[in-house]
Amino acid sequence: MSLSATSDIVGTKTRRGLTGLLLVAIPVFLVVWMIIWPIISAIGRTIWLPNDGGTGRSFSLETYKFFFTDQYSLNNLSVTLWTTGICALLLVLICLPIALYLRFAKGRLAAYVQGLAIFPMFVPSIILSYAIIRVLGPNGTVDLLLNSVGLPHIRSPYLTPWGPVIGLVWDNIPLTVLILLSGLGNVSNQSIEAARDVGAGRLAVLWHIILPRISNSILVAVSFTVLGIFSAFTLPYVLGPAAPEMMGPFMQRTFRDLNDPTNAITQAVIAFCFCIVFGLFYVRSVAKNRNP
Amino acid sequence: MKRRAFMLSVGGAAAGMVLLPRMAFAETGKIDWYTSSDQNILDFWTNVVKPKFEAANPGVTLNLVDAGDAAGQTAIGERALAAMQTKTDPQADYFESADWRLPAGAADAGLYVNIKEAGLSNYSKINPLAFDGDYSVPYRGSQVLLAYDTTKLDPANAPKSFADLVTWIKANPGQFIYNRPDKGGSGGNFVRRAILEANGKDLGKFKIDNYTQEAGDAALNPAWDILKDLSGSLFDNGAYTSGNTQSIQLLGQSAVTMIPAWSDQAIQAINTGVLPETTGLVQLQDLALPGGFSRSVVLSNGVNKDAALKLADFILTEEVQSAVLSELGGFPGVAWDYVSQDLREKYKDVIPTTIPAFPGGDWEKAINDGWYRNVAPNVDRNA
Repeated sequence: MSLSATSDIVGTKTRRGLTGLLLVAIPVFLVVWMIIWPIISAIGRTIWLPNDGGTGRSFSLETYKFFFTDQYSLNNLSVTLWTTGICALLLVLICLPIALYLRFAKGRLAAYVQGLAIFPMFVPSIILSYAIIRVLGPNGTVDLLLNSVGLPHIRSPYLTPWGPVIGLVWDNIPLTVLILLSGLGNVSNQSIEAARDVGAGRLAVLWHIILPRISNSILVAVSFTVLGIFSAFTLPYVLGPAAPEMMGPFMQRTFRDLNDPTNAITQAVIAFCFCIVFGLFYVRSVAKNRNP
Repeated sequence: MKRRAFMLSVGGAAAGMVLLPRMAFAETGKIDWYTSSDQNILDFWTNVVKPKFEAANPGVTLNLVDAGDAAGQTAIGERALAAMQTKTDPQADYFESADWRLPAGAADAGLYVNIKEAGLSNYSKINPLAFDGDYSVPYRGSQVLLAYDTTKLDPANAPKSFADLVTWIKANPGQFIYNRPDKGGSGGNFVRRAILEANGKDLGKFKIDNYTQEAGDAALNPAWDILKDLSGSLFDNGAYTSGNTQSIQLLGQSAVTMIPAWSDQAIQAINTGVLPETTGLVQLQDLALPGGFSRSVVLSNGVNKDAALKLADFILTEEVQSAVLSELGGFPGVAWDYVSQDLREKYKDVIPTTIPAFPGGDWEKAINDGWYRNVAPNVDRNA
């Protein structure tokens, strides 16, 4: 680890320091310009509100007070957190076995499984939404198949909070599997064989050898998917219930249908505050990797 | 490991291609046309209007662009307004359906051609009821009506008044759904019809500039009560689709028996087989569900302004106006005298006796927000 290329470039050696700084200048500038500055401007615009007379602005936390006292907004926030949490949990439960299988299996079947796991990456979410209505919606394919063998109607997840959960989980499988798979690359076959030699069972190998090695990858995968799901738009918009809405559709509706940019930005800042927590998890785990 | 490396590089290349910049310049003889309407309107222009117009006007082509929705098209309008100030090319000539009041100040700045003074040869044929100022060409109308499954509901028993409809919905729980009022006009106008019902069917009560908080609460709260009362009898104990198309899909999948639908969308869905031939259409007789006309505007600073005006004239010809009826299922923008008698007979279902039109502006905002806050959440989904 101490001899990795990155530590050589961003290290303290002054000879290459200037080149290193120049190399990072462009991405840093882009991040400041397109991400940091809009955040600062958004926060500024929501706490310095225009005065009633239309002249000047003064400090006020009114929009935040409104959000946190408005039951409708709070319901939207809590359904967003619920959806994000459930999706993250389901993704780890579904993707970890797939990743483990792909890491250790060989042959054609593994290739097919990988292809299937990566496939959602190439399906646009709007197409996915309508496909889910067709398949899982009322009188959809699943319903017809169940009915044909004499089973009762299912209660369709379409237009309930479970609709977006199913769509988002399916949509995020590729990213999660790929991140977990790269983490599993750190687990050497020798260490597993050594553990087996001293009599460790499958579960013991998973618990004591594999999971400690990939805990970081799990954290990265969870933070990535959480960031994506928290701000998801299309799937909750098409598949979810009218109310409570997830923050993505709620922000869009406040901004455009209600012509209320200030409250929409307030919602965005609040969403950002939740996301930053997971962003920090990710940054911390990357930083931990850099300096062992 | 090779598989993974391959997947990563393919993913990277795909992402790179999406990020490649795209440039476009307006060409003379190619009318840049934008729509904010649904796919059926774009299909109508692609398959009917474009070939007819290009055949009649050699050397002129139509570049049909989907602006997504009203806000997307307004953004193009804002770009054109900015281009007007800098005297550059707006890359836009024609909006299929637009409100000339948007973007704010555009008409005063002269962005849209004054159609009344533009000397269109077919201008005098336009239905006098359809006008909305001098800057736009009303060319098609549409109205929300009820579409239902005749295998489950005998046309003789189809509801003819709003009160009948409410009774029917309550007697047949789970068989009716409408979409969220801000996500499509079919649900939006159903909600507006409920508002009119709660206000003595008095259209005069609602004007574009008479919204106040008090008037809004007084007029809308009784309507929310009507709709809240209905919600438990709707599909899935109070589910609302997120668009006109999804409602039609649910009717097509036989998940519900009745939906409110745009007349043109419903008729086209029946013609293309999206809805079965056993679909019935009915309009309320006490006061119809609201609707309105779609009006095109021509941009005065477009490179192809003259050709675009020719297009505006062309869509008022009997050829296109009859196609609006027969292909689109809408009603014509010209007076009914300019449509052939057999078409009038065949499409008498959609010939409106009244077209209540509800104002937008602050009322629209109040309706959208009020519905979400009052009707949508107060549903016990597990009941």
